Amino acid sequence: MRLGDRSKFRTLLNKFENSKSFPGMLLVPVLSFFIIWNIVPLLWMLGLSFYRFSLVTGQPQKFVGFANFQDILNNRSVWKSFGRTFLWLISTTGSETILGILLGFLFWNSVDMPGRRLALTLLFTPMILAPASTGTFFRLIYEPTFGILNYFLQLVGIGKIDFLGSQKWAFPAVALVDIWMWTPFMILITLAALGSVPKAELESAEVDKLTWFDKVRYIILPYGKFILMLGILLRTIDSLKTMDLVYLMTKGGPGNRTELIAIDLWRKAFEGFTMGWSSALAVIVLFIAIALTSIFIYILNLSKRRELGL
Amino acid sequence: MIKRPRKLIYHIVLWVISLIFFSPVLLVITDSFKTKEQILSIPPKWFFTPTIKNFIDLFTRPNISRYFFDSIVISTTSVIIAIIVSILAAYSFSRFKPKGTDLFMFFLLSIRMVPAAASVIPVFLMYIALGWKDTWGGMILFYAMFSIPFSVWILKGFMDGLSVHYDETALVNGGSRFHIIFKVLMPQLKPGLIAAFIFNVIFVWNEFLFNYIIGGKKTTMIPVALSTWMYSQSGIDWTFVATLTTVYMIPLILAVYFFQKYLLIGMTFGTIRGEV
Repeated sequence: MRLGDRSKFRTLLNKFENSKSFPGMLLVPVLSFFIIWNIVPLLWMLGLSFYRFSLVTGQPQKFVGFANFQDILNNRSVWKSFGRTFLWLISTTGSETILGILLGFLFWNSVDMPGRRLALTLLFTPMILAPASTGTFFRLIYEPTFGILNYFLQLVGIGKIDFLGSQKWAFPAVALVDIWMWTPFMILITLAALGSVPKAELESAEVDKLTWFDKVRYIILPYGKFILMLGILLRTIDSLKTMDLVYLMTKGGPGNRTELIAIDLWRKAFEGFTMGWSSALAVIVLFIAIALTSIFIYILNLSKRRELGL
Repeated sequence: MIKRPRKLIYHIVLWVISLIFFSPVLLVITDSFKTKEQILSIPPKWFFTPTIKNFIDLFTRPNISRYFFDSIVISTTSVIIAIIVSILAAYSFSRFKPKGTDLFMFFLLSIRMVPAAASVIPVFLMYIALGWKDTWGGMILFYAMFSIPFSVWILKGFMDGLSVHYDETALVNGGSRFHIIFKVLMPQLKPGLIAAFIFNVIFVWNEFLFNYIIGGKKTTMIPVALSTWMYSQSGIDWTFVATLTTVYMIPLILAVYFFQKYLLIGMTFGTIRGEV
């Protein structure tokens, strides 16, 4: 039997839980976080993007309307950074997808492999490491005088290459690290996509003696394509975000060779301290990210509907 | 084994591929047991007497244990806060489906997809204005928000998979809503909770940009310590880099081993579930 305070508390709690605002009350914590750490900063940023505001000059903020946006649209170096980011996206995500799918198929039948869990741990480790630390230790590997890569190159008779310091090699060298890091992710995605194909369908394909190509086309792709697309989209969004990995290896250089849009933005904001201009660029990047996320959600919903058999 | 040489070759190939992907990491780990001269020697020293001097040096550096302490406390505290907040939100979204649920879920994910270089600018200005830069509260609460989108997505997904009958039975028997959330549903959400906890901790553990900009001397975490401390008088201090990176990677590698089945859901922010 509950007595006194305890039952009073119960009645109050019951009243609270049955009130119409209860579902909303459960959301108060998450909404407070969302408003304080996202909405307020984003509105602030949106506001700043219409101002000329530098932390260095000490001049008062000045409203300039769309001047920052105009300047960005006419700024060749920004366009070049976007171009480089696009090239980065195509070369890294492209290679990761192709390699990941091939290796994913290869790993498909590995369930009875001895030490599978350990082997997969070794395989999947690269993607879980901090880009900041990966970038740092790849500098040692790429180092021209005592890096291990140049040692191997000299063994096979190719001369020394200063990978991160040369105009020609910096971009591919950095892209290669990204490919090393994220190909395992696409393997993981491919394995998930293959795992989503019903076993019965695969068995009937065996019975029907479908060719490998037809099996992929008529059975695997219809089931696996959504997961694959989601994986590729996640990589696409990530390539827009790539920053610390490249920054710690080359700081965007040599010249501007590896200056992706996120690095450009970072340098304008935290080396140039032009907060107004940088905010405007950040707003543009933000809209691109939201657009990509809506495509992601759209495909996610398609795949959910497919699962429900609609 | 001998009966099926093809299978043996297949498994060897898979092992070799896995080892190729792991080799740069292995290189760093072996480097951490070498002296400075051995790390930089060409041709590389394949055989050497391992030394643990680097590790002793690392941990006798001033402040280094503080950085580990900061990393561990900031990442776990912020994720625990995020998960508590997210369970309540996920329950509300999953059971009451208030208006705008889908839109809010979309915004949450979008926020997580925005490049840090963009979203750090206003947060930086806000933290300066409010005096939150380089404070424990500021750092922990920021990372809590950093972890909330993924936690809400993953917990709502798992909660949608639990029948409403559990709720109804508990309600009929006089259980309160909080009793349902924390006593009835939570045990069944265990896989989701584990995935959310482990992977959010990893993401915070790995985070660099925000810690660099809105953190400071009092709240430095390991990636930032690594990047700011790696220069000695004679260029980059490679023994330090290799040793700190090794110590810092070990928990991550162990996590991949022990929580392998959550890796997919973890790396896709709770949006893709499946067997690997």
